[in-house]
Amino acid sequence: MATFLLRRLLIAIPTLLIIATLAFVLLRVTPGGPFDGDKPMIPEIRRSIEARYHLDQPLWQQYLRYLGDLAHGDLGPSFQYRNTSVNELIAQGLPVDIAIGGSALLLALLLGCAIGMLAAVRRNTWLDRLGMSIAMLGISLPVFVIAPVLILVFAIQLRWLPPGDWVAGSWRHMLLPVIALAFPYLASIARLMRASTLEVLASPWIRAARARGLPTHTILLKHALRPALLPVIAFLGPAFAGVVTGSIIIETVFGLPGIGRYFITGALNRDYTVVMGVTVLYGALIIVFNLLADLCQAWLDPRVRLR
Amino acid sequence: MSVVLRAVLGTAVLALAACNAPSDTPRAAVTSITVGQQLATDQNLRRAIDQMPRTLDPTLLTDIPAQRITDDLFEGLTTLAEDGSIAPGIAHSWETSADGLIWTFHLREARWSNGDPVTAQDFVYAWRRTVNPHTGAEYAQSLAPIRDALAITEGKLPPERLAATALDARTLRVELNAPTPYLLALLTGNFMQPLHRASIEKWGDDWIRPEHMVSNGPFTLQETVIGNRIVLRKNPRYWAADTVRITQVTWYPLDRAEQNSRYLAGDLHIAESFSAEQYGWLKSQLGDQVVTAPYLGTFMIGLHMQKPPFANNRALRRALTLAVDREILTRRVRQGLYPPAWTLVPPLPGYDSPAPEWASWSDEQRHAEARRLYAEAGYSKGKPLRVDLTYPTDSDNRQNYEAVAAMWRVNLGAEVRIYNEEFRVTQQNRRLHLLQMFHFAWIGDYPDPYTFLQLFQTGFGINDGVNSNPRYDALLNAANAEADNARRYQLFREAEQLLDEDAPYIPLYFYASRHLIKPYLKGWQTNILDRNLSRYMYLLQHQGQ
Repeated sequence: MATFLLRRLLIAIPTLLIIATLAFVLLRVTPGGPFDGDKPMIPEIRRSIEARYHLDQPLWQQYLRYLGDLAHGDLGPSFQYRNTSVNELIAQGLPVDIAIGGSALLLALLLGCAIGMLAAVRRNTWLDRLGMSIAMLGISLPVFVIAPVLILVFAIQLRWLPPGDWVAGSWRHMLLPVIALAFPYLASIARLMRASTLEVLASPWIRAARARGLPTHTILLKHALRPALLPVIAFLGPAFAGVVTGSIIIETVFGLPGIGRYFITGALNRDYTVVMGVTVLYGALIIVFNLLADLCQAWLDPRVRLR
Repeated sequence: MSVVLRAVLGTAVLALAACNAPSDTPRAAVTSITVGQQLATDQNLRRAIDQMPRTLDPTLLTDIPAQRITDDLFEGLTTLAEDGSIAPGIAHSWETSADGLIWTFHLREARWSNGDPVTAQDFVYAWRRTVNPHTGAEYAQSLAPIRDALAITEGKLPPERLAATALDARTLRVELNAPTPYLLALLTGNFMQPLHRASIEKWGDDWIRPEHMVSNGPFTLQETVIGNRIVLRKNPRYWAADTVRITQVTWYPLDRAEQNSRYLAGDLHIAESFSAEQYGWLKSQLGDQVVTAPYLGTFMIGLHMQKPPFANNRALRRALTLAVDREILTRRVRQGLYPPAWTLVPPLPGYDSPAPEWASWSDEQRHAEARRLYAEAGYSKGKPLRVDLTYPTDSDNRQNYEAVAAMWRVNLGAEVRIYNEEFRVTQQNRRLHLLQMFHFAWIGDYPDPYTFLQLFQTGFGINDGVNSNPRYDALLNAANAEADNARRYQLFREAEQLLDEDAPYIPLYFYASRHLIKPYLKGWQTNILDRNLSRYMYLLQHQGQ
């Protein structure tokens, strides 16, 4: 177990280094610079601005400086928001993403598991078909359709909920983005859960439990739930990274100050440090959550051995 | 925000809304607002901006959202009156020398938000900071009319040499290179606003943070949440604070689709803009809440004047400009939102561009002349013009250029292929003079023809088509040395005529500002610069959103 953890963490370092290097190179070969605007700029001014951000140094020096800062956890100053560091941007945006993403995943997990299990237990009944139709809808409808529909119905027509904005701690502001973000994950989890529950229900130990005359709910909750959850847990690791990083559209539609927006505007404005910083952060998140999912799986299923 | 994403989302929200309600029946939920006569008790104004400002430092700002907000935070020697005309700001009066080169401004008794008096030295300090190349003010050139400003920015003279002198705490003398009739308009600008030296020296770059910023305008900075909101509070120390009714302004950086949905849901009092494609639909739904007005900008196509096929081919350039049906473009494609342009300079108070003769011709006459010129340039059906037109990705742009390319195909037989690139890529390619034919839009900095005419002056920083005509340059130089404004405008008109004959660009239409404004919001200023200070606005009691 300890060796497993250590090895995975050690592998993470070169992985992150490759991600950081790729981000650096790709950004620098992209045409257009952070200070190419509409208006003409006097050369002295351009020099002064470039010196401020060390853009006047040779590329390899910039790269080394960037790696050195990165090793100290300093992601540098943002080019597009003056006097704001990338660390500050992330510190401000990440809690929003975690709040929205975490709530969405929790909702998707609870509802998805319930729907999936119910569909499996009531296989081939109207309940099963209803649950799987909802799941199919969630998988096929893109977020950029679901989110505007929710706004249109609940904010503009019915005026029950705000159409966007972020007020820390306000559940009313979180509800629509959380639902929109949760829907596709809920659908995937429901389908996964249904399939794995069906498989588990057909296994010998469930038959043995039935033979012993245990009531259905005991069989389901005590004997079937844990093994049925395994594929869902494997899915949750990448899914959590996905909801945190993939909420870019949600942030845009609902006007949430998450890091996905900085990432998009950063890429468009050639805000090198923001894009590199967020890319490395996303990379790290994906590594960490995959690791956590592996650990959870081992804990749930004694047959899994971590090496 | 990605333009593509924005277009997709915008279309999604509005298309869905449109499905719900046929466009000929206004939706009650949106439009039923009853406005009273009394001031609303809550004077908390909620306005949108198109993106998060890069900085709120008046010296360093580069974007329109930042201009909007600093207009509320700071005030220069002059400011804008409620009707959009120029009014005394921190200066209550001024006089100018007979040759128009020396201006003396007398400052009123005004205070910074921390109680310090606003002095002439605060202006000198701010202006020196702007022209100092070490500050890195991208728009330092805006101060060029002041004597020695340009030489200082180019590093040839120290900033102390700037010809702006504080004669005493409340008298400021400014010396100019040439008579500058638009100086009073220029002084309303953000680059000319005073700065509080002590706080900048104390906090360095962090002086723009809400906890440190000292400002002299109608509002002070309360809170900044990047990507979410900027909150301003009424400044009780502002010299005209008793006339300001709004107690708090919250600025939300939102893209257009979001602005629309927030506005429709009653969350915003003012939407900063909407996509031109949605003009017709919004007008049918919201009626008078859609507020459009002439805006100091021209939408055109730039041509590379040093490369084939346009170099030394005046006939071809004129054929292309004559073959564009601007009425169709503005009425059909842009649904009447924008007025057609036959010239470079949009209509200004006191200045009207000389309309070219062909502007009044019938379509047949114009097309015939275009075809004649096209043939004269050496092209025909068998040997059509093949050229690429490059534009930055945006759905409004795409519609325009598809329409124009179709007009050229039908009216001339020319084969113009349109390409879109990401904004920064086009921008760089233009600067490197790689494009034959390109999207070219310009918003004027001050209400004077020169802000447009300079675009085609030899050596000007963004003369991206590399146009050079000694006669044109001579006319502009003569105009700039001219103290009599009527004579100066005459020279500008001659320069515009020359531009029409030469056709180094293809004008398409003039811009219009476009906002959504709640009927219970009053005090909105309509002006050609589209600057609308929150200090004049107020909210009336109302029912419905």
